[in-house]
Amino acid sequence: MAADIPVEPGLRRVPRQGLVFCFLVAFCIVIWLTAQTGWLEHGSSRDVLVAPGMEHWLGTNEIGQDVLVGLILATPTTLALATVTAILAGALALSAASLVVLGGPLVAGVVLRTVDVLQVVPSMLLLLFVAALVNPGLIALVLLLTVTGWSDDVRIVVAVLRREVRRENILYARAMGAGWIYCWRWHLLAALRPLVGVVIVQNLRQAALKSAGLGFLGLTDPRLLTWGSMMQSAMDQLYTGAWIWLLLPPAFLLSLFLHWILKLSDPRVQSGLELEQRL
Amino acid sequence: MLAPYVHRKNGVSYLYTTYVFDTLVSQDADGNPAPGLARSWQRAPDGLSYAIQLQSDAKWHDGKAVTAEDVAFTMRYMSEYPYVFGSVKSIERVEVEGPYDLRVYVKRAETGLVEGVFSAIPILPEHVYSRIEDPFRFASLEAAIGSGPYRLAAYDKAQGRYLLEAVTDHPLGRARFEQIRIVKMNPDAALQAMSAGEVDIISYLPVDRVLAAEAEGFKVEVAPSHHVMRLGFNHRGRFALRELRQAIAYVIDRKALLDTAFPGTAELAQTGYFQPGSRWWNEDDNPTYAHDPAKAHKFLINAGWAQTAAGRWQREGDDVSLRLITDGRSVKSARVITEQLEIFGFSIDLRVMELGALRNLVAEGAYDLTLFSSSTLGDPSNIGRRVFGRGWNSDRFPADPEMTGLIRAQTVASSHAERVEALDQFQRLYAENLPSYMLVNPLMATTFNEKLSAPFMPGGVAVGIPSALHKSIFLE
Repeated sequence: MAADIPVEPGLRRVPRQGLVFCFLVAFCIVIWLTAQTGWLEHGSSRDVLVAPGMEHWLGTNEIGQDVLVGLILATPTTLALATVTAILAGALALSAASLVVLGGPLVAGVVLRTVDVLQVVPSMLLLLFVAALVNPGLIALVLLLTVTGWSDDVRIVVAVLRREVRRENILYARAMGAGWIYCWRWHLLAALRPLVGVVIVQNLRQAALKSAGLGFLGLTDPRLLTWGSMMQSAMDQLYTGAWIWLLLPPAFLLSLFLHWILKLSDPRVQSGLELEQRL
Repeated sequence: MLAPYVHRKNGVSYLYTTYVFDTLVSQDADGNPAPGLARSWQRAPDGLSYAIQLQSDAKWHDGKAVTAEDVAFTMRYMSEYPYVFGSVKSIERVEVEGPYDLRVYVKRAETGLVEGVFSAIPILPEHVYSRIEDPFRFASLEAAIGSGPYRLAAYDKAQGRYLLEAVTDHPLGRARFEQIRIVKMNPDAALQAMSAGEVDIISYLPVDRVLAAEAEGFKVEVAPSHHVMRLGFNHRGRFALRELRQAIAYVIDRKALLDTAFPGTAELAQTGYFQPGSRWWNEDDNPTYAHDPAKAHKFLINAGWAQTAAGRWQREGDDVSLRLITDGRSVKSARVITEQLEIFGFSIDLRVMELGALRNLVAEGAYDLTLFSSSTLGDPSNIGRRVFGRGWNSDRFPADPEMTGLIRAQTVASSHAERVEALDQFQRLYAENLPSYMLVNPLMATTFNEKLSAPFMPGGVAVGIPSALHKSIFLE
């Protein structure tokens, strides 16, 4: 059905976005390898809070570490953390919503009540629970952001799914003897793709920002370098003027990243609208 | 709340409570004992009792007279309900000899009782507290009926604000100000408010803001806090061996730590517990553990550790990973120290945690190193708790016969000189044994406008609170 739709300019942009994505991944791998070999020196020094200049292009932070090197080293961690978390939370939300719609009233009840509980339980409790379960670190952080992030999206996806399962194509397929798994794989997922794209983008934004604030709970090593954590430690310098070179660069990069993600999701939303109109 | 059993358990809250509650012994401007509620006191020749004469015109804030019965009651009450900032364990009994005369009998002839328990414990009104069976839950305004120069008129628990009002005719002098308002603010807001004339004193201004305060024309008093940041060891775990502790001390470059994490805001600490400025500080050269990786290497090899070709330290074939824990206040230092240890070849599991979790971890012994700050001020009778105690901010050092012997000796010393000698030896042993490794002695600053100013009290206020705000500065 969807094969009749002429390709929109929006969809043609996707491969280029894909190129950017591949470039980013390659860039991150290169940085990671460089960091392993110790090429990029990011040690503390006595040059504390030095303003940008020839020696340090973007200045140094409160313990004399070079900000530019920090930004470069933080890139893979920031992007990986945000992406993995967003995809996990999105996948969880999608699975839960599918269970609600397709799993019968008992399963739906259980899943929705779980969602309710997660919505009302303070994330602090979950934090402590996760901290007790796993050794804190990067994995704990991903787990935590996933656990606290997926429940927000379930009801939105459920609403769309409920509408989709009543469509004619699904009814035909069911009448022809197709099982729910087949319908989910070939019909529902296609219809949900734009929404899932949006949900993942939302989660990316949340994860990138939230991960910055969790270092103090002992859940991550305070040396875990992300753009968010760099912004957070810059907050202590708001009164010195050093925030100009400590806060603005990571904030700019984070904004750029989120902007790019939004751009990435745009054609998906657009194509979703097109589909809607034609179906 | 500014009442003995319900104030927060930190030095600042204790300090503010001293404005409302008097102790038997106060301090003069040099920090030496001076009359408080007690007009005078005499130690018996055998050192086993003290005759105390009270001020005859001291009154509780509700108008009743302060008598010897109140003092006797306080000692009894505090043995039943221990007070966090002063122990009456050394006191055997109190005999009331008249409305304003009493004799306090002690279990052992100790020096330092006058600077210790008599200066530390707030005297409670018997007519209020005698019917209170759980003082830790007694938090109405009545709980703050003291005999101090200011009475608590109102407080806002949520905001941490207190309104104190001057008491007329306090025996130690007339109040200089009608009211004292204590308000919690962040330093920058406080500086702005001071410029606008809304704030007269900033009790603790971060030292990196001193220039800003001086530029505004305010008077700033800066002094070492003696609240020394130190590296603690798990003595019941990996660092039971003294040589291993010394190795770590040689690995850490304290000078670099000072320049990086405390540029201009701290002094290098002395390794023998007491710091310059303390009357107990011994100027003899204790080991300074100047950064010396080769020496550290030798110590570790001798202790049976090995270093791989890649420079990682191993013990019995396994990589050594050291867990360093601290709370949010020392993140900067923790990062610098971690880096130094990693460069030397340890892998470090650094945890910055909130205090509750940190305490649990320390109690469980689930750590190797800890970074914490703790005071070295106050009468040395508190050393036992600070070095051998089991609190998270004690050194948690297992009892060392020689050191405990010296602490006992200085407690029961019959003369000041004898006490100094015992404490000199104690400092030498402390620097050698490293119950914890003293790193830096942060500076602290108090800012005043033209209404009032005072230097930091030498040796700290009462129990050793580093502060310039002893209550005597609010009296004429």
